[in-house]
Amino acid sequence: MAKRRTRFTETMTGSVRLTGERETRPVRLDLEVRTDTFLLPWRTTEARVRGRLRVCGWGEEASVEGEMEISPLARRRIGYRLSFRTAGRTYLLDGWKSLSPSRPLHSLTVLPFTVHDDAQQEAGRGTVRFSLAGALLPFLASFRFPAADRGPEQLAPGWNGRPGRTEVWYTTVTEPSTGTGLWLHHEVTAPEDGSGGYAHGWVAVCPPGGPVAHARFGPEPVTPDATGFRATGVAAGPGRLRGSCGPYTWDLTEDQEGPTLHTFPAWAWRRPLLPAAQIVPGGRARYTGTVRGPGTDLTLAGAPGATGRIYGHGNARRWAWLHADLGGGDVLEVVVAVARRRGLDRLPPLVFLRLRRAGRDWPRRGTRTAVGWFGLGRFRADVGLPSWTVAGRAGPRRIRVTVHQPEERTLALEYTDPDGSRAVCRNSVTADARVVLERWWGGWRPEAAWTLRGTAHAEVGER
Amino acid sequence: MNTATEGLLAALLAEDDPATVRAVARRLDAALAAMPRATRAAMAAAATAVDATARARHGRPLARLTPQERERTVTGLVRRPGTAYLLDLVKIPVLLAAGTEYHARRSTPVARPAAPADPPLDCVPSAEWPQRQRADAVVVGSGAGGAVAARTLARAGLRVLVLEEGRHHSTAEFARRTPLDRFGELYRDGGASVMLGVPGVLLPTGRAVGGTTLVNSGTCYRTPDRVLARWRQDFGLPLADATEFGRQLDEVERTLSVARQPTDVLGTNGRLALLGAERLGWGADALRRNAPGCRGSCECVVGCPTGAKQSVQLSVLPDACAHGARIVTSARVRRLLVERDRPGGPRVAGVAARRPDGTTFEILAPLVVVAAGALQSPLLLRRSGLGGHPMTGRNLAVHPATSVAGRFAEPVAGAPSVLQSAGVEELHDQGILLEATAPPPGLSSFVLPGAGRALRAGLDRSGHLATLGAMISDRPGGRVTGRERAVSWYRLDPRDGRRLLRAVRAMGELLLAAGAEEVFTGVPGAPSVRTTRELDAVLEPVTPRQLHLSAFHPTGSVALGADARRAPADPLGRLRGVRGVVIADGSALPSCPEVNPQLTIMALARAVSEAACRPDGG
Repeated sequence: MAKRRTRFTETMTGSVRLTGERETRPVRLDLEVRTDTFLLPWRTTEARVRGRLRVCGWGEEASVEGEMEISPLARRRIGYRLSFRTAGRTYLLDGWKSLSPSRPLHSLTVLPFTVHDDAQQEAGRGTVRFSLAGALLPFLASFRFPAADRGPEQLAPGWNGRPGRTEVWYTTVTEPSTGTGLWLHHEVTAPEDGSGGYAHGWVAVCPPGGPVAHARFGPEPVTPDATGFRATGVAAGPGRLRGSCGPYTWDLTEDQEGPTLHTFPAWAWRRPLLPAAQIVPGGRARYTGTVRGPGTDLTLAGAPGATGRIYGHGNARRWAWLHADLGGGDVLEVVVAVARRRGLDRLPPLVFLRLRRAGRDWPRRGTRTAVGWFGLGRFRADVGLPSWTVAGRAGPRRIRVTVHQPEERTLALEYTDPDGSRAVCRNSVTADARVVLERWWGGWRPEAAWTLRGTAHAEVGER
Repeated sequence: MNTATEGLLAALLAEDDPATVRAVARRLDAALAAMPRATRAAMAAAATAVDATARARHGRPLARLTPQERERTVTGLVRRPGTAYLLDLVKIPVLLAAGTEYHARRSTPVARPAAPADPPLDCVPSAEWPQRQRADAVVVGSGAGGAVAARTLARAGLRVLVLEEGRHHSTAEFARRTPLDRFGELYRDGGASVMLGVPGVLLPTGRAVGGTTLVNSGTCYRTPDRVLARWRQDFGLPLADATEFGRQLDEVERTLSVARQPTDVLGTNGRLALLGAERLGWGADALRRNAPGCRGSCECVVGCPTGAKQSVQLSVLPDACAHGARIVTSARVRRLLVERDRPGGPRVAGVAARRPDGTTFEILAPLVVVAAGALQSPLLLRRSGLGGHPMTGRNLAVHPATSVAGRFAEPVAGAPSVLQSAGVEELHDQGILLEATAPPPGLSSFVLPGAGRALRAGLDRSGHLATLGAMISDRPGGRVTGRERAVSWYRLDPRDGRRLLRAVRAMGELLLAAGAEEVFTGVPGAPSVRTTRELDAVLEPVTPRQLHLSAFHPTGSVALGADARRAPADPLGRLRGVRGVVIADGSALPSCPEVNPQLTIMALARAVSEAACRPDGG
């Protein structure tokens, strides 16, 4: 069984008396807690905490960040150390619940704390309480146990030499100063006829206005490699991409910036039940290094991009893909596909959409956008060229994504599936995109909107 | 205070004035209020029993008897050895109350010079302390060991918090209040802590910022070399190296300004002791004390009212506070917080403490120094689940002590004098240390013989009494049980009993040599003696069980040692079975130190806390 993490939210309210004041102030603490392990109450678990602290009349609402020590039985303590900045100074809120067998409820719901300023002087003290009446249900409902993120390890190949499989590492990068796009495609295809896997791929460079220049490498016989993709002169593995292909050479280091973004449900990656699945290790990454080629002399220094991973039986009947770096750590990943498997091919295009915003992935359930609630409320896609759109609603939010892939900035390449069938994929590493997020507040109101001009990475495939 | 008790007071003190009886009763009531409930109940039971005796003999309660009938009732009780012993126990608090009342009536109030300002301390009452706090080190107890440990750790740059169950008393406060008023507050259980056994042993311990150093006599003996050699060889303590431990003692002596007591304020009591020793050819001298500029207030045991005695709250703790240590007062540590799921075994995480109002607070710290005293440290470890070592609470040595008084023609009290002034070391090689110990004004430490008019006459002439005390280097025969309240037990070793009788004989001989008209041995039922021959005759049938024993130096209940089966703590003071706990008080001493242990405890605390500061020490 995959290693599980734990995630939950907790809200506590109470009062704090700041040093030098006679009266107390109301205080509210909203926390989101994440652990790297499955939370077992009889063990000691270290957790990361983010959230908000609101103290009436004391600066603005403050973002808090820190750690928790969750050990209600082994150490009889649930500790909180949260730093925050308000009124121009940095403070540390330090407190812990101390389990008392004689008063279990009281001791597990009351958090006395002390606030220290950056000079380690006491700035206040107070108590917040977890309300069993008001906060228990949201607290219990908030518990999630997602699979642990394996991080860069997920760049390691899943293909073990089995016939009829395709595995892809594809990296798209935008050089921010010039707007030049870079696409590195590494693919292992193992034909169904058992004739042995072969490696191939291509590199494409697209200046802001086009046109796209590219070069292909392979095919060449390949055997499963433990670290990543490896072919003659080309390698793609955890933290490193290098190779030479025709007139192009590249040597890049990759720093992933967050947990894996599961565009498909996480289980679909762990267990190959679907025809294929895709993930983006790190969600987004930074690339540093050089790319040389005809008319190309790129020196990347922390350029934004991402490496996607695909593993499955082959390409879909029709598909579309978008990676949009929205800035500030936010990222949108979209895959729209019509499968070739019998039965599935009769379904409308399935939309797999993940928006990572402020560290949280939306929608929470991996199958929400694809199948909705037994088909109701699934996200819709209208795939075409040069523009395609995806739209849908989950919970109180709805999203509309419009992608534009101008022909002059698009590279059409032909792929061969393990079963020998062929598909054409139109790749654009300098696509345009418009993303609009709205929230229901008695009516749809704009919550956020992003416009990407030449920095979105997209493709549309068809047969 | 009920009529039975007032009747008992009137009978014991042959006091016919009801107003005076009521005044004594009020003082007794105030003194008893600080004592444990059992002591108060025993006192009330004793009064009821004597009252019942009066009803049986005369048909009326004690309060309604004529003075003559009262006299016959109590003298009848004194004549019987069994009731005489019990009545002597009742007389201890009664004499304290009566002595204070009569002294207040006799003496005219003398304006004392203004008390000097104490060095500043960073004391915070627990009521003002936050519920949650972190520190680098917590020191439980602010006595001799705790103060030195706190200072050592604070000087090493650690954020140190000292938790003290008592409160802070200033020198100005001591100067303002009578000794008896201070007595109940400065001692645990109002000074009525008793070790159970045959005989029972009174064992008063201090409870305030400064611990017992606040109420000791200021006598400072260096640890004898033979004791250090024993600790090094028999108990495997490398820190007891004579040179290295001597360095620690030197530093402690410098801190406490230890010097031999000048003879100008020694007092008559001490001079008589030195005179007697000189006439007998015994080695004796004024004691070395930590009281530079002592004015002879003779109130050491209830807090020095002039600030001369360098108790740790005047000498060590101010330095600790100057290095950042803070003292939380009125905070009783409930338990040490132990994390048992740590890799490498259990580790201390801090302490949970209780305020007087019952609320609790916690402090997290990776290092906890236990210095709650030899009677309280084992209890704290038990409450924390750390008292599993079979020797925790055992191995208790107490320096059993008894006293002898001699009546002299000339007044002994009255002039400025030092409470514990002169030491006679003639018999120290035999485990007996004699020290001239005068009572504070109005507080007789000696249980005067008799009852009724005889007792009253003795009380009226108590100003002519010189008192000597003897303490015995004992084999550790004590044990502390309990978790919340210390219940201590003591079995007097037969060898130590013989030493005590030999000490009583020596003290009587010395007082007679000094010119005493008569000597009171303190043995119930034994008359006073006027010659050494009479002394020998009186003591001949006496057994150690008949002696009134008290003890002042409990040590060894969480002893250090290399043998893990015999010692709960290792040679560096680290409690076995848990990481991060250091023992740094009298309980750490492996065996009886044979002298007043203040310097020894402080030097040991310094050594173990220095070790705890080293990277591999905590």
